[in-house]
This record gives sequence, C-alpha cells and structure tokens, in this order.
Amino acid sequence: MSRRLAHILVAAAFAALVAVAFSRVNYAWNWSAVWEYRDKFIQGWLTTVALSLAALVASTAIGAVASVCLQSRNVLVEAVGRVYVELIRGTPLLVQLLIGFYVIANAVGLENRFVVGVLVLSLFSGAYMAEIFRGGLAAIPQTQRDSARAIGLTPWQSLRLVILPQAVRLVLPAVAGQLVSLVKDSSLLSVIAISEFTLNAQEVNAVTYSTLESFLPLAAGYLVLTLPLSALSRWLEGRFRYEA
Amino acid sequence: MLAISAFLALAASAATAAEPLRVGMELSYPPFEMTDPQGRPTGVSVRLAEALAKHLGRPLVIENIAFDGLIPALKTGRIDCIISSLTATPERSKSIAFSEPYLRTGLALLVGARSPVQSAADLDVKGRVIAVKKGTTGHRYATTALKQARTLVLDKENTAVLEVVQGKADAFIYDSLSVYQNQKRHADTTRAILEPFREETWAIGLRQGDEPLRGQVNEFLKAFRAAGGFERLGDEFLPEEKRAFRERGIPFYF
Amino acid sequence: MKLEIAELTQRFGATTVLDRLSLSTGDIQALVLVGPSGGGKSTLLRILAGLDVPVAGSVAFDGAALPRDEEALRRYRRTVGTVFQAYNLFPHLSALDNLLLPLVHVHGLSRQAALDRVREPLERFQLMPHASKRPAELSGGQKQRIAILRALVVQPQRIFLDEPTSALDPEMTAEVLEMIGELKALGTQLVLVTHEMGFARRVADEVAFIGEGRVLAHGAAGFMFDHCPEPRVRGFFDRIVA
Repeated sequence: MSRRLAHILVAAAFAALVAVAFSRVNYAWNWSAVWEYRDKFIQGWLTTVALSLAALVASTAIGAVASVCLQSRNVLVEAVGRVYVELIRGTPLLVQLLIGFYVIANAVGLENRFVVGVLVLSLFSGAYMAEIFRGGLAAIPQTQRDSARAIGLTPWQSLRLVILPQAVRLVLPAVAGQLVSLVKDSSLLSVIAISEFTLNAQEVNAVTYSTLESFLPLAAGYLVLTLPLSALSRWLEGRFRYEA
Repeated sequence: MLAISAFLALAASAATAAEPLRVGMELSYPPFEMTDPQGRPTGVSVRLAEALAKHLGRPLVIENIAFDGLIPALKTGRIDCIISSLTATPERSKSIAFSEPYLRTGLALLVGARSPVQSAADLDVKGRVIAVKKGTTGHRYATTALKQARTLVLDKENTAVLEVVQGKADAFIYDSLSVYQNQKRHADTTRAILEPFREETWAIGLRQGDEPLRGQVNEFLKAFRAAGGFERLGDEFLPEEKRAFRERGIPFYF
Repeated sequence: MKLEIAELTQRFGATTVLDRLSLSTGDIQALVLVGPSGGGKSTLLRILAGLDVPVAGSVAFDGAALPRDEEALRRYRRTVGTVFQAYNLFPHLSALDNLLLPLVHVHGLSRQAALDRVREPLERFQLMPHASKRPAELSGGQKQRIAILRALVVQPQRIFLDEPTSALDPEMTAEVLEMIGELKALGTQLVLVTHEMGFARRVADEVAFIGEGRVLAHGAAGFMFDHCPEPRVRGFFDRIVA
C-alpha cells in the first residue's frame, strides 16, 4: 500500500469516527443559519491569516536575534536574551496578552489592538524560536567551525556559508511545528477583542443560537492553514537532506 | 463535589438513590454565581439551586461552565438546567425552554467618564465603541440594534469593564446590578446609567420537551416565593443594592 | 621549511598542555610528530596551523614568525592547509563545492577558474567520479582524500595533518597514506601527526617525540626509530611497533 493511500484511509477512518460521534449527540442541527453568516467566517479567517503571517515573520526575526544574544559572550547581552526567553516561556500567553494590552500598551498609549496582538504573539513565539535556533547552532560540531577557520573564512563568511546552511536544515522541523502552533495560538487573541477566526465563529454560534455547527468549519479553516505549512516543511526537509 | 457533600449533610433524608440534579452556571457573577474564599460555589443562584434540589429530593451537582457554553451543555445533556442569571428571550426560546421568570431587571450602561454618551440611543452613532460580553443579551442588543457602532466582543466581564475604564470603549452593556457594582469599584473612571433601556426577566433554562422537570421547577418557584425565599436571598446577598435601587426607583425585584 | 619553536606554552583553564616546548629543525620537507595520547601533539599542531594562540613562546617558519592577532592569523591560515581527523567537509555541499568554496570565497577565483584548477588534481587522485556526491555518500577514505585535496588546491606553503587516518579502517587508511606519500613526492611541505609508525618512518625527514607537553626526543627519521637512546621513546615504539 502506498504511503499516500494509507494517509488518506486513516484520515477517512478518523473522519468517520467523528461523524458517528456527531450523529449520536442529542442535538437539533441547524446548518442553514451558519451558511447565512459565511461572510463573518471568511472575514475572521482572513484576519487570522494576516495575524499569523505578521507574527510568523516577526517571531522568526525576534527568535534569531534572541538566539544570537543567548550565545553572546557579553554578560549583559546574554542576560537580556535569557531573561526574555525564561519569562515568556514560563508564563501563559493569555496572561501575556492581558498584561500586554491592558497594562503595558495602555501605559505607553499604544491603542491599536491588532498591532499589540501581533507584537505579543510574536514575542511569545520568538522565545520558543530562540531556543530552537540556539539548539540548532549548538548541534553543529565544533570541527565544522574549525574547518571553516582553517580554510581562512572570516567569522561572517563562516556563518553564512557553513554554519547557517547546516543550522537551517537542523531546525526546520521544529520551526515548522512552532509556526503551526502560532496559527492555532492566534485564536487566543480574541481575549483582547481582536476579531479573528475563532471569535467570529463563536459569535456566529451566539447569534444563531447554534452552538456546535460553527466548529466544523472552524476546524476546517485552521487545517487549510496548517496542513500546507506541514507539507511545505516536509518537502523542504526532503530537499535539504544530506543523502541523495 | 463540595456542593454535593454540603447538601447531603443538610438533607440526610434525601433519597440517595435519586439521580443527581446537574445545574449549570458560570461562577464569575457575584453575588448570584460566585465562589467563597474556600472555593465553594455560593451566591443567590447557588442557594436557589440547593433549594430546588431539596424540593425535588435529588442530590445537587453544580457544573461551572462559561456563560456562552451553558446552552450547548444543556442541549447535549451534560446539565439538566441552567440557573445562571439567564435572561429569557424569544430567540433563546427557539433553542431551549424557560421556567416562569424569577427576577425582573434590565440592561444598563457602564459608561466611561470621558465619554459623552447619555443613553443607549447615543451609542448608535458611527465612531462609538461598545464593549459586550460574548453570548449575553447585551451582545445581541449591540449587534442587532446598534449597528452604527463598533462592537468589541470580550469573553469576560472584567476585561469588558477594563475597556471602558481605560477609555477604549464608550460603554459596556450589561445588567443594571453589575453595572452598579462595577461603577462603585471604578468610581473615578466610570459613570453608570442605571435606568434600564431594555427590561429583562431571568428564568431557569431547561431542555425543550423536558415538560416533567419544567412543571416541577415552576411548582418549586411558586412555593419558594410564597415562603419568602426570595426576600431572604435579597437580604442575604443584596441588601445595599436593594436599598440603592429602591431609592432611585429602578426596577430590581424578584 | 625550517621550523623554530621557542618556549612554547599553552594552557586550557588550569591545565598546562604545552610546557615551554622548544624545537629547532633543519631545512626539511616532512616533519612527523609522534607520542602518547594527551601528550600535546594535536595542541602543538593547531598552534603551528594558526588556529590557536599560545599563552607564551614563539613559532617561526623559515624565519617568519607566526602572528598573535586573529586578523593576521587568518591571513596566515589562507596560505596553509589543514586536515583534521574527521568532519572536515561541509555536509551540505557536494565534494566539488567543498573544493571550490575556499578558492572562490577566500582566494577570489572565479567559479570557472576554480573548476579549471581542481580538475587535474581530481583526476590524478582518481576522485573525479565522486566529485558530485555529498560527504554522506562518500566512504571515510574518500572524505579524507577530498579534504586533503581541498587543502592542496589552494596551493599552500605547507599542509598540516592531524591524525588523518585514525578514524579509518585499514583499507581506507592505506589509500589515504598512499595519497600523502604522493604529496611528498610532489614536493609538498608536510607537518603530520600520526600513529602509523611504518608510514611515518617512510615519509618523515625528521621526527619529534612529544610527551608531557615537551619535546622528549627529536632527530632524523632513521635515528629516531632505530637508535634513539631516550627510554620513554624506545618503550613507546616497542609497544606500538611490536
């Protein structure tokens, strides 16, 4: 049996199980009401896409900078990196959002909730990225750096030509996983009233007194975002492998 | 769990073989649904639930569920009834059934100190920002009747209040009692417009078609009121508010 | 090359690895460093190759002293080649790209000029069929030979080799040693650390025995292997060559 066929069969079996569970629920389904509000779903989905993309880019940049700080020999620089990573990874995103928006952003007069939401989400994901990058860099054997020096490469050349290409291959799976988490974590931005996908779906539920019908399109909408990310990551891993 | 043991200790004569009465409420709405410092459910609705369970001769189980999840929980059978300061509305009646109402109140406004808003009508203007709690009648009112304004949908009462306090929203639409309490708490940054622009009644939520239970609940409410149960609840939990509302001539009575 | 080392000292933390080591060779082509593990051979080689800076002492090749600042050392490293025991090559590049990288990015050749330069050595050492493979697809011996080629094609003054065959099985060891022998025949200057005593004897002009952070004995190859009076050296050879 080919791998793709096996994937499809298992997914279908799982969908069947879920369908059975749905059919056994003591509940009066009302799908037409949800279809009426499809615009709200689409708007919410687009907002989630925008949030995720922005945070994707920002968190990768923040993570890269932070991982450099973590490797620095300057005591103060390393401390900034370490405190940032530990603080962010040690507190829930919900708490960071509430404090970030209602306390910190309020104090500095930053009103735009979309900006604050993306910022908090990026800082959150960036801390995890930093550790991923740091781990990737540390996994490269010292002899690689020695070889690069021995040929006479400058530190910058060595980073660009030798270290980073290898580090990227090493961290790709973990980064892809982090990006998928980011898309899902963006649903938490609803607590500061950002009209993203999950909140919009819940509003449709509330307005149509439907309660459950919105959750299927909700799950499907997220899968549309996360499955391509995972597939892209697997394809990139295949291209970058050391063996043919 | 603690509600069960407390109840069993009080009513030892209760039939232990009877099926538990599962009541759903969101324990974040003092003084109706809240927890005491030891973490046990308490409040007006909790007392009401206890009295109802005793009347029915069934052990009580209180399920703490987020407000907008109560109706789904009822419909899927996870709980038997909702006693959570739930407003009876025609729209909700399409999904669930209600008991006879047990409390009359209304929607009021918690307004930011620097906002020019004087009434609900003032909110239906482009540029106004309204905070609501997801799934409440305030949410419904804002989305259907106040379409010019921008509505912020928050999932918790305290963040909605924060939006008004910090001037990010002009007003928070919520029931008059909570508006009164929040305004007291944030006296410098908010004003309260307590005259309800929309009257509401609270009732116990039940599954459609569950006629036996509905009959029993209505019977219970009648008996409870006749025995002065509601008066006692008002005195125990809302003495100051009762007085304050009566002084202003604002409807708030069981 | 004429090598002059004076009072060379190297420390890592609290440990002294090279203890005022001194050595003065004749004008030779191939110097071999032998001795027990942990005696300081590799540490010495890294300093000679310009990779590490000693805490004290001096090194001079043909009268030119090794600099101590990183910038100057980098320029020095560009004029020599170094081959480590393993993991020399960059795994994300093909063997050919590994060869081209220093030529293009360090020595400023165009890609075409670099290709022209590596063609002949690749053919001479029968490595052309492997040029487009990645290191993961090469055997240990092939990888080491490519690494040696990479050191060779930059036309260095001399090549340093730190136990180039220690991680290889006997068959691959033989093919790598054969290549090093050819380098000697071509006239390339070599400084080699190795445990392969038979090969050392054939290829060395002079041998230095490094132990306890110092040069315990030093002389022409024949003398060192057959007539060295130093008991520690005699004992070492007896154990190994036996």
